[in-house]
Amino acid sequence: MYRKKILAAALTVLAVAACGANDQKPAGGQAAKAEKGGTLFILSEGKTQNYDPAKSSSLAITSLGLVHRRLTGWLNAEGKEAKVIPDLADTGKASDDGKTWTFALKEGQKFHDGTPITSADVKWGVERSFAPAFSGGLGYHKQLLVGGADYRGPFEGKELDSIETPDAKTIVFHLTRPYGDWPWIASMPAFAPVPKGKGAEPDYSEHPFASGPYQVAEYKKGVEVKLTRNPSWDKATDEIRGGLPDQILIKLGLDASVVSQRLVADSGDDQFAFGSSFASPAQLSQIQTNASAKQRLVTSKTGALAYLALNTQKGPLANPKVRQAFQYAVDKSSYQIASAGNAALAGEAATTLITQGIAGREQFDLYSAPPNGDQEKAKKLLAEAGFPNGLENLDFVFNKDNNYTEKAQAVQAALLKAGIKVNLRPLESDAYEAETSLAKDAKYDLTLASWQPDFPSANANIQPLFQSSEIGGGGYNISRYNNPAVDKLIEEAQATIDPAEAGKKWAAIDRKILEDSPVVPLIYTRNSFLHGSKVGDFFIADFPAYPNYLQVGITK
Amino acid sequence: MLRRDRWAFAGAVTIVLIGLVALGGTALTALAGQDPYTYHPEALDPQTGGPAGLLGGISGTHWFGVEPLTGRDLFAIVVHGTRTSFLIGLAATALSVVLGVLIGAAAGYLGGWTDRIITWVADVFLGFPYLVFMIAIGLVAPPSIPKQVLLIVVIGFFGWPSVARIVRAQTLTLKKRSFVAAARVLGASPWQVFRTDLLPNLWAPIIVVATLSVPGKIGLEAALSFLNVGVPPPTPSWGRSIFSAIQWVATDPMYLIFPGAALFLTTWAFNVFGDGLRDAIDPKGGVR
Repeated sequence: MYRKKILAAALTVLAVAACGANDQKPAGGQAAKAEKGGTLFILSEGKTQNYDPAKSSSLAITSLGLVHRRLTGWLNAEGKEAKVIPDLADTGKASDDGKTWTFALKEGQKFHDGTPITSADVKWGVERSFAPAFSGGLGYHKQLLVGGADYRGPFEGKELDSIETPDAKTIVFHLTRPYGDWPWIASMPAFAPVPKGKGAEPDYSEHPFASGPYQVAEYKKGVEVKLTRNPSWDKATDEIRGGLPDQILIKLGLDASVVSQRLVADSGDDQFAFGSSFASPAQLSQIQTNASAKQRLVTSKTGALAYLALNTQKGPLANPKVRQAFQYAVDKSSYQIASAGNAALAGEAATTLITQGIAGREQFDLYSAPPNGDQEKAKKLLAEAGFPNGLENLDFVFNKDNNYTEKAQAVQAALLKAGIKVNLRPLESDAYEAETSLAKDAKYDLTLASWQPDFPSANANIQPLFQSSEIGGGGYNISRYNNPAVDKLIEEAQATIDPAEAGKKWAAIDRKILEDSPVVPLIYTRNSFLHGSKVGDFFIADFPAYPNYLQVGITK
Repeated sequence: MLRRDRWAFAGAVTIVLIGLVALGGTALTALAGQDPYTYHPEALDPQTGGPAGLLGGISGTHWFGVEPLTGRDLFAIVVHGTRTSFLIGLAATALSVVLGVLIGAAAGYLGGWTDRIITWVADVFLGFPYLVFMIAIGLVAPPSIPKQVLLIVVIGFFGWPSVARIVRAQTLTLKKRSFVAAARVLGASPWQVFRTDLLPNLWAPIIVVATLSVPGKIGLEAALSFLNVGVPPPTPSWGRSIFSAIQWVATDPMYLIFPGAALFLTTWAFNVFGDGLRDAIDPKGGVR
């Protein structure tokens, strides 16, 4: 329910991620130290670039963070677990067993026009995200805040009483239930300040009030966005942003293959550029044969969980034993090749639901099988479940974007060896969403999906995919897994404030869900990004599997 | 007469050969020890996921090399793709010819309002952006209808106006001939006239127009598969192979060349054969 369709699309894009180079050694650009000054270019496929925090599902370390600060932020670096750290405010204090959270804003923060940022502006920003006209952003907070379920935004004249601003520097949130991950929620885009009373216009995205190191100087839809320095931004109060380049130009509406070719060629302004989307396997294959480009390819160590979802509410797949057969039938090795050309480029084979690099994760493998799967064992399980002749005519839907056609065929070929015959049904993105996340009753038996948590907590790995409240209506429980026992455990884990204790609970839930086998984990998808030769401090930390836009700069 | 036209003869031979490949595809690929569905990861370059070896991995086992990322045998894919193209191309042509002959003959023979309405409708259909329509139909049709059948019906249905126009024109001239007038005076119903008097005299133009429309239909099937609304994977289809091959053209051009050449050869053969047929049947009309 937290996710609306736009985000869905965004996440499928994350899914493409399936690229990446094996060599984890620092590539050329990473070794070079970026310096202050210069113009950075970002080459983007999108026609628009959203700078409206209410409508954004941007991660805390990517494009939105250049313009907006939030209550809290992420500190991520290579080889370190991502941490929630102060941004505009501190990281919050819990009271009332985690149902009330109080944040204190830092002194002297200003918008780009010089007006001071107060707690009322943060409150206005959060309230604004409830307005139907500004929906579509990450909405984890919407159900958690008291009264949030029926609130329709501040433009109808009503305030959300569960957000209190006792003074200009203090903001208090009252939640419907204890929620230990609230400091992470406060790092979501909706927690960026919007001056009270402003931002009613639908194109606020094109001229937002900036609190970060840059302001939107020029916005040409489909062409480019020009970000220039925000004179009010004070580096001394900001641990997260480097703010190195003098100017950032985001080029919009470029074709992915053109971006890839330009960055491979590395001439002119493209030396100061990086691509915001990943290369397809074909492009990666080309980069592998070009020594200079290969050096400028930066790959994440891990990333989104790619998985095969089994519709637990339909036909033979309602039987857990049948579903377990799929764990052995899939060929993760051919899936890796289909995603990025080889195993090392695609990412490691996955066996857990919690992704690598998330605190509390436990590595286990309930269904251990060789990389190519164990189709004989799958057949045996199917026979025990009463299907000695295998399964026939299973409906396998998939989104035809992002190489899913190749990936689905790899899964199909492996399942066939185990006597499971599936019919592939490719769909356009919109139709796919309508049939999977939005559908009340699902027609499909299987589908492929990928999930990158929105914040580095096992909560964001598991709850959106397996809580029964997330079935249909835009929720991402596409295996339609409904287990009241698991629902209860999820609520308990969410209420746990101590991260170590919560981590243990989530790991136990991970194991419990996989015993039921609603999904088959395939790989932890690696992402690769290509950058120009004069781009420095370009790195991808353990979480998220995206470059940190806030630290990137130009080398001399 | 056809034998004197060397191009047409070459086209005819090519059509027969491709037809044999379409019919005996399974046997032919079995001869090579391959099928279009089995993955051969060992035939791929472990570094890139592209085919291992030169020229897209051409070898004694894989005559046309292999498909990148899957290692499926490209020869088997192209051969089985022939069947998809031929089946859909010929069946859709047959459908559009049947429709076109009936509608065209009705318009020409009955005349009056029937003729006017049919001509208008045919004009609308000729100007209709049918590719967009076909994509839309492909998306909304329930999945229970096999895609092959859907493609045949959709492509065939949009093909009738060109046939109908030619048949109508021919019928108009035939209608004025004395044997048709005699049959009418003797009280023959339109259906009887159509079967006994019109149809035997319409065969020649019908065969020519049918032959000439086959390559268009095969091309249309490839175009729809290229746009990902054709036959569902993994059923081989030239159009889909060409679509995926475009991305690989820099590193593995052979992946584009083989299915592309197959499509080119087939459409070329039908075109030159159809041209030759037209010249042979109607020497005055030939521009050659």
